[in-house]
Amino acid sequence: MKNKIKLVLRHVFLSFLTAFWLMPVVWLFVTTFSTEKGINTNHFFPRHWTLANYHQLFFEPDTAANFPAWFRNSMIIAIFTCIISSAFVIMTAYAFSYLRFKARKGLMSFSIILGMFPGVLSMIAMYFVLKLLGLTDSIVGLIIVYSAGSGLGYMILKGFFDTIPESLREAARLEGASEATIFLRIVVPLSKSMIVYTIINSFLAPWMDFFMARLMIKSKNPSDWTMGIGLYNLLQRALVNQYFTIFCCGGLMVAVPIAGLFIYMQKFYVEGLTDGAVKG
Amino acid sequence: MKQLLKNVSNNFKEFGTAIVRGDIWVKMSLLIMGAGYLGRKQFIRAILITLLQVGVLVPLLTVFAPYMSKLDTLGTVQRKETFDALTMTKTVNDYDNSLLILLYGIIGILAILAFIALYVSNIKAVYREQLEAEEGDHINSFKDDIISLFNDKFHITLLILPSLGVIIMNIIPIIFMVCIAFTNYDDKHQPPTYLFTWVGVKNFVTMFTNSRTITFGYAFLRIFIWTIIWAVLATATTFFGGILLAQFINNKFTKAKKLWRTLFIITIGIPQFVTLLLVSKMLGDSGIINTMCANIGILDFLKNIGLLGKGAQCIPFLSQPGWAHVTIILVNIWIGVPFQMLSATGILMNIPTDQIESAMIDGASKRQIFRHITMPYIMFICGPSLIQSVIANINNFNVIYLLTYNYSTANMAMAGSNAKEVDLLITWLFTLTNDYSNFKMASVIGIITFVISAMLSLVTFSKMVSGDREGVYR
Repeated sequence: MKNKIKLVLRHVFLSFLTAFWLMPVVWLFVTTFSTEKGINTNHFFPRHWTLANYHQLFFEPDTAANFPAWFRNSMIIAIFTCIISSAFVIMTAYAFSYLRFKARKGLMSFSIILGMFPGVLSMIAMYFVLKLLGLTDSIVGLIIVYSAGSGLGYMILKGFFDTIPESLREAARLEGASEATIFLRIVVPLSKSMIVYTIINSFLAPWMDFFMARLMIKSKNPSDWTMGIGLYNLLQRALVNQYFTIFCCGGLMVAVPIAGLFIYMQKFYVEGLTDGAVKG
Repeated sequence: MKQLLKNVSNNFKEFGTAIVRGDIWVKMSLLIMGAGYLGRKQFIRAILITLLQVGVLVPLLTVFAPYMSKLDTLGTVQRKETFDALTMTKTVNDYDNSLLILLYGIIGILAILAFIALYVSNIKAVYREQLEAEEGDHINSFKDDIISLFNDKFHITLLILPSLGVIIMNIIPIIFMVCIAFTNYDDKHQPPTYLFTWVGVKNFVTMFTNSRTITFGYAFLRIFIWTIIWAVLATATTFFGGILLAQFINNKFTKAKKLWRTLFIITIGIPQFVTLLLVSKMLGDSGIINTMCANIGILDFLKNIGLLGKGAQCIPFLSQPGWAHVTIILVNIWIGVPFQMLSATGILMNIPTDQIESAMIDGASKRQIFRHITMPYIMFICGPSLIQSVIANINNFNVIYLLTYNYSTANMAMAGSNAKEVDLLITWLFTLTNDYSNFKMASVIGIITFVISAMLSLVTFSKMVSGDREGVYR
């Protein structure tokens, strides 16, 4: 009996937490159906419901809101950045975790020191470097900005690699596998969960970024913008009363690929993958 | 540092020996870097390295040298436009651009350093091959070189591209901005119209001065303290909150684990620039939360217990210092805990179960297992990243900026240095550059932020890098 009460309390507590966590999201969701274009400050739920906002978002791009173009730009940037920077992170983490070479400690210390410099500090200089390369206002430039320095984010993955038994790699080496083979055939499959985490992060960083894009893209043409710049622009004082619901629709649509990604990838977090390796 | 100097001097000693004892091919490599390999019939290598030599030296001499020669003054000729009334055209004189001089200068110097290193190691390699040839050892063919890149030199293959990216997008920008802190680059000295030049440590003195005209010292102290409080609280609350939540959901008594996890993950699914802007609208002075609070009497309650003045129209969640600070921390918990919950779940799943099993057989309580097995394991994996997340929070731009972009300060001393009470050093830096073009002071703040981060991690630094712990769970 006592256990049952505990069980109920546990779930009531969780529901309470979840409700608290989801409140802004729910508000975002219901506001997308509102017929009032501006911010609704008096009612949590809209008084009249409509789907017109979505229609406007997808099929009626105007001079202020060009959602299809923003979505396309952000998608291209995020996919390429994801590929490049996950590769960089995995390569760096592997090299620092398993390979023993002369400059290893020096490079690791150096990378940690580099990581301490505030990113915002170098953003402005990055803009000048991009300008030098003639890549401002372009998707390629943003991909470079997002992915170039990503090798520095190797720490978590390296920590995970450090827990994979050395004996496995030794066994493979005895059978004549090269370092490259060991990497691709043993380490990658075994650390799938952490690699998935890395990949998700590499996708999300550019997908969710706003400031870097705003600094790098100075174009006044809305079809050159990314999602972040575009949606932020809709909250400008002159536009917010006309476009707040569009902002909400856009914000929700930005979340769709991510939600899909998370729900699909969740199982990788749940399956313990070192289970299959060596046991006690 | 000593080690580094020793290494460098050793390198040059070997370089000297190589030149003195080297044969004609080695000596010819001094001029044409590929010559040495030609002598050992390694044609592909010879061609590649010579092409590299040309590819570095030609742009260095033609493009970079003119800029580098002006590095000491950062340019002397100011831009002047003259209007020719006859041809109705404007002509611009051959002016100096301080910005380009600095940028090209830095890239040029780095390129020269890299080239010297390459040059020295090339001579050494050529000499080594001479010795190998004399002793009749096997000399690596080009094919052998390629194969070794996937075996004993695999680290080079793995690290070359990431390093290149870091050099272009991290190291060069950082050096550049550090240099800016020692110049007078601000809104009155903007290239290409105006020149800027070196001013020594003047900007650092300004940063710590508090006088009637300069209030940077006053603002700095306040913002510094808030930055530290924020970084520690934000990291601690989300880290432990996330682990506790993950433990709570993972507990065997919890039903529908996946559902709960998914519900929390939904909040991560929406980008911060959407959620934070939305939350800042909700918490605004006339936002929906304030309407709700007034309706159910929380506003009156706060007035009664004296937290708010009698005349208050709303709860100033994000518009008064104190209130705003607390709100920011709370909103950050809302933002950060699901993230931490997710990665903690991943780690919790991978805890070696044999340890927990044996602890349970020995009769350890749940709390004991959590304290002595689970937490040490989590700290082993997350420890290094914890320091990084304190540093990341010192530099946490999104939460502060997006929540308080409407905040305006009533404090004249703060406003005098373009700062706000809720600013972190980093958002202050951003405002200074983006809105006021005060690059010199922004760079000073950047350097100070770096020093703070460096000092914070100095204690744990050696522990992180020293490899003693790497094998603990292997």
